[in-house]
Amino acid sequence: MTSEKLNTSTVESNAGYFLRGEKMTKVYSDGTVALKEASIEIHTHEIIGLLGENGAGKTTFTKILSGLLPPTSGRVLSPKGPVRFSSPREALDFGIGMVHQHFALVGTFTATQNVALSHERPFTRVQLARAEESLKALMEESGLHVPLDVPIEKLAVGEQQRVEILKVLSRDVDLLILDEPTSVLTPLEVDELFTLLDRLRSEGKSIILITHKLKEVQSVTDRVVVLRHGQLVGDVPTEQATTEQLAQLMVGQALDQDAGAVELSDQELPVHKERKPVDRTANSVLHVESLTSRSNTGDIAIENLSFDVFGGEIFGIAGVEGNGQTELVESLTGLRVPIQGSATINGTNILGVDPRHIYKLGVAHIPEDRWELGLVLPFTLAENAILGVHQWEEFKGPLSFLRWGKINTHVRALMDRFEIRAAGPSAPAKSLSGGNQQKLIVGRELAKDPAIIVASQPTRGLDIGAAKYIRDLLVEMRDMGRAILLVSADLDEVLALADRIAIMYEGRFMTVCSPDDLNREQIGLLMGGVEREEARV
Amino acid sequence: MSEQSAAKQSRLLRGVHKTVTGLNPVLESLLAGVVGLLIGAILMYIWGFNPWQAYIALFKGAFGDSYGWASSIARGTPLVLTALTFSICLRAGMFNIGAEGQMMIGAMASVSIALFTLPSGIHTIVGLLIAASAGAIWSIVPAILKITRGVSEVISTIMFNWISRFLVIWLGVYVLVDPIRAEKTLSIPVAARFPVIVRGTDLTASVFMAVGVALIIYFVLWHTTVGYEVRAAGLNPTAARYGGIRNKRTMILAFLLGGATAGLAGAALVMGLPPSYAIFSSGMPNLTNMGFDGMAVAMVGRNHPIGILLAALFFGGLNAGGRMMQLGSNAVPLEMVRVVMGAIVLAMSIPELIRLFPAIKKSIENFAGRIRDRRERRAVKEAGE
Amino acid sequence: MNWLFLLNYSLHAMVPLTLTAVGEIVTETSGLFNIGLEGILLISAFAGALGAEAGGPIVGLLVGMGVGAAFGLLFAVINTYWKGTQMVTGIGINLFAVGFVAFGLILLGAPGFYDVSTSSELTPIRTGMGGVSPMIFVALVVPFFIHWFLKRTRAGLILKAAGEMPEAADVSGINVNKVRILAAIFGAALAGLGGAYMSIAWLGSVTKDLSAGRGFIALACVVFSGLNPLLALLGGFIFAFFQGLAETLKTMPNKIIPWQFVSMLPYIVTLLVVSGAIGRVRFPKALGVPYKRE
Repeated sequence: MTSEKLNTSTVESNAGYFLRGEKMTKVYSDGTVALKEASIEIHTHEIIGLLGENGAGKTTFTKILSGLLPPTSGRVLSPKGPVRFSSPREALDFGIGMVHQHFALVGTFTATQNVALSHERPFTRVQLARAEESLKALMEESGLHVPLDVPIEKLAVGEQQRVEILKVLSRDVDLLILDEPTSVLTPLEVDELFTLLDRLRSEGKSIILITHKLKEVQSVTDRVVVLRHGQLVGDVPTEQATTEQLAQLMVGQALDQDAGAVELSDQELPVHKERKPVDRTANSVLHVESLTSRSNTGDIAIENLSFDVFGGEIFGIAGVEGNGQTELVESLTGLRVPIQGSATINGTNILGVDPRHIYKLGVAHIPEDRWELGLVLPFTLAENAILGVHQWEEFKGPLSFLRWGKINTHVRALMDRFEIRAAGPSAPAKSLSGGNQQKLIVGRELAKDPAIIVASQPTRGLDIGAAKYIRDLLVEMRDMGRAILLVSADLDEVLALADRIAIMYEGRFMTVCSPDDLNREQIGLLMGGVEREEARV
Repeated sequence: MSEQSAAKQSRLLRGVHKTVTGLNPVLESLLAGVVGLLIGAILMYIWGFNPWQAYIALFKGAFGDSYGWASSIARGTPLVLTALTFSICLRAGMFNIGAEGQMMIGAMASVSIALFTLPSGIHTIVGLLIAASAGAIWSIVPAILKITRGVSEVISTIMFNWISRFLVIWLGVYVLVDPIRAEKTLSIPVAARFPVIVRGTDLTASVFMAVGVALIIYFVLWHTTVGYEVRAAGLNPTAARYGGIRNKRTMILAFLLGGATAGLAGAALVMGLPPSYAIFSSGMPNLTNMGFDGMAVAMVGRNHPIGILLAALFFGGLNAGGRMMQLGSNAVPLEMVRVVMGAIVLAMSIPELIRLFPAIKKSIENFAGRIRDRRERRAVKEAGE
Repeated sequence: MNWLFLLNYSLHAMVPLTLTAVGEIVTETSGLFNIGLEGILLISAFAGALGAEAGGPIVGLLVGMGVGAAFGLLFAVINTYWKGTQMVTGIGINLFAVGFVAFGLILLGAPGFYDVSTSSELTPIRTGMGGVSPMIFVALVVPFFIHWFLKRTRAGLILKAAGEMPEAADVSGINVNKVRILAAIFGAALAGLGGAYMSIAWLGSVTKDLSAGRGFIALACVVFSGLNPLLALLGGFIFAFFQGLAETLKTMPNKIIPWQFVSMLPYIVTLLVVSGAIGRVRFPKALGVPYKRE
């Protein structure tokens, strides 16, 4: 599949090329194509915005470019020398530095100590005084200020990020890669960051800004590169691209009609595709009002969310990951206590309820991380199948003896019903494929006869057959009258399954409507943070 | 013809490889055992002993005759119980290093039944209950400290080991001391003792108690909701919580259970150890190290009650056979046994010991590959003719 | 109450505790938890004594350090590259050492008790309160040096990073496993020195329970110190003091407090410290967790 470019970029003649990636391809050992023949030229004096949904290949792309991951085919060139490193340290020495989403900082160290850590050879007396001085000079230059003698763990997240950036800058890098840097910053801090990037660019540096926020891209970048499903689908100068175009590139329907079947194929779609008209006369099963919760870092993750989920519908929440979806699910399933708002199921409050009891209130949860939350991997199939319901009378006998006979019958029934392929009820859960593990979890949750099913990334990591099965199942449950809240970063999945969707961005719903009311471009805009009015929705 | 046998050969080798990696846990323990014995053999050889002869004497002494078997089982009995202590807590996700101290407290607590009389069977049972309770109580403080203040149970149980040791010495010297022979405590009254079941040995009925406890623990862990929750909390506390399990309560329960079994170990070492059925306050030779040896047994037994029974038999045999090993012309001091034990535990601490010998795996693969190549080449040559 | 004796004993008893504790501070700072110190003390005492017999006291001390370092290396390699379980390795070392030393003692024809010949002992310095071993001064100085090292050198920074947040250290190009191995070798070497000291420069003999729990007391000392070597020095002295007190009380005719309770005191104090009742103790976040690069 050739990558369609809108325009090849042209840059001022006083900029040379710093790095060039030619037909970079990465295929993992399990067959996943993470990146397909992406070519790019990175110049000095340039800020590139790298756009793409989750799973588009941004991380792979930047890792290959920064020499930390060898491409399966294709190459990366640079006038400075070969681009192939075995550690981030070597990349730093070369001049490529990355600021990750999860900072690599030592909490108990001060900023000075953290920066000193990444500097030249060991076993010299660390000249903290000198390090502090040069750090202060750097802070003046870059405009990034942080208190220097406070342990990092006591600083605000924005300040911590500044330390990360300072760390990289102190190594005098030529290429600076920032991974979703603004997700933890206040608007004021974002402005300061962009001013800094501006200045760095004028000094001759190259910068790659990974983001999903269209507005940001517009405001600070020279060039926008868009990845989708592992392919580079756009490489345009920023001033020539409208947010609409970018949105389209990001989520699908490139102008060229045969740009590839990125929609779900028939094999992946559920059997019953018909959307159900929303029956307003049905009772709302889940009623949420003004729900607000903080994230682990203390910032507001979801803000004033209000919505209903009715029986017999699938309410889908779409959006790029990291916009509060996880916190929303956690708030509704007893794993996070909101700071404001209410949520009830058929009238009964479900907020702040210990996860031990949440199922009694009718909530079933298919967790997004099935290994951490859903299963005890070393346990057998049967042992996992009764997790959470092991105290039920039919499974627990006198003296709290487990009725293995009854349990195994139940498990075999589950295996039949949900086509779980395994050696038997005593097979260890970790020997099951991802799809079968997920089916086990779904089966278990359904056995609790829930009023609402909260499905978070239910088909993540599953092969096509298993994913389709799960999707079919969700539709089947909807048809049986259950309420389903579907959260998925896979836009195609949400669009295919949901009767109503909400697009989530920075903790808010950009819109709540039927999927038919939006075209993909509008969806892309909303996912990228463009307000409804501007997206003409 | 060449195709078929080549295929058969590689299938055979693949089968061997699969077995080797599939039987992992049991094989690891066996391998560690072999490594330990090997290291012992090397040391013996360096010092001029004949390791082969020594090991023969060892195994003869341990399992050669009924006296040997009786001794081995007797030595292994308390180890079963202290091993269970470690394993139960490990399954709950914690390191209980306090079996030594809990066992000592239990032992001294059982001595207290010498202060009153009860009909024969009941007296024994009361002694066991007192010992188990003492052990459980001794383990509860580290558990609570861990739950409420996050104190590392490793440190706290070690501290309690030492406090227990001194406390028990004090009790043995001042409170429960034998008025006639001050170097030991009161002896367990005859009516309450575990009867010797093999005459002339020190194997008493306490072994039935130990095996019984092991089986009970097995049932509890795998056939009750209580045990289910303990295992879940130990393997994945997040998922466990989501499955309605109160992790903190479960941890305390595991500690109590572990402490109780250690207490029972102490009881076995007093109420079930002829000839004195008492504790010797200086040094406490019968009690010392039973807790730590139990940990070794637990590890080799893969923290499973059945495995523990077998491992305890093995370690008990090592101890019993060691006595034989130090007799005769090729007299190897029985302390070598502890060397071997230490080496076995060291070997056990390396996970996937089998994988550590990549040479074995590689050579299997290479061999299979080379055979395949040779067959192919020959087939091609034959085809060309 | 013979205060002079008490002081003398305490100072001497402090040496193995402090040296081992300071060594373990270095090890734990890097993220490894070596519970095998007890065994290392014992086996270095034995090896050191043999070395001293062969080549004099200094050689003995060096041999002790060497043996300690070897075990440190073994421990570290198992628990870094080979992803082992630190707890189990430590217990294995303890068991092995007890067996080995007992075994060795018998082979030397000295069941249970081996007297180090005076010529191999480190000559004490005559002072007003009796003979004082020069090693005491070593034990007094080392904590200060390590404290400076951890605080002021870049190597100290690297150590702390490896124990606190190995990911950050890795990103900065530090080989976390190598750092931990070096730290463990150093820590165990100090413990080895402490062990050899016991047989060569203090007690003058080797018995199979020579270490008498000192390895675990040193661990308690580490907790008490909150990974600060200077506090480990203080803690070492405090624990040694109570050991001396117990010894003194044991020989005194009128028993006010049974010596057993005095002996318990160091452990109770540690328990209190660890429980947070006295001060807050903070350990490296990655302590005991093997490092895997994602």
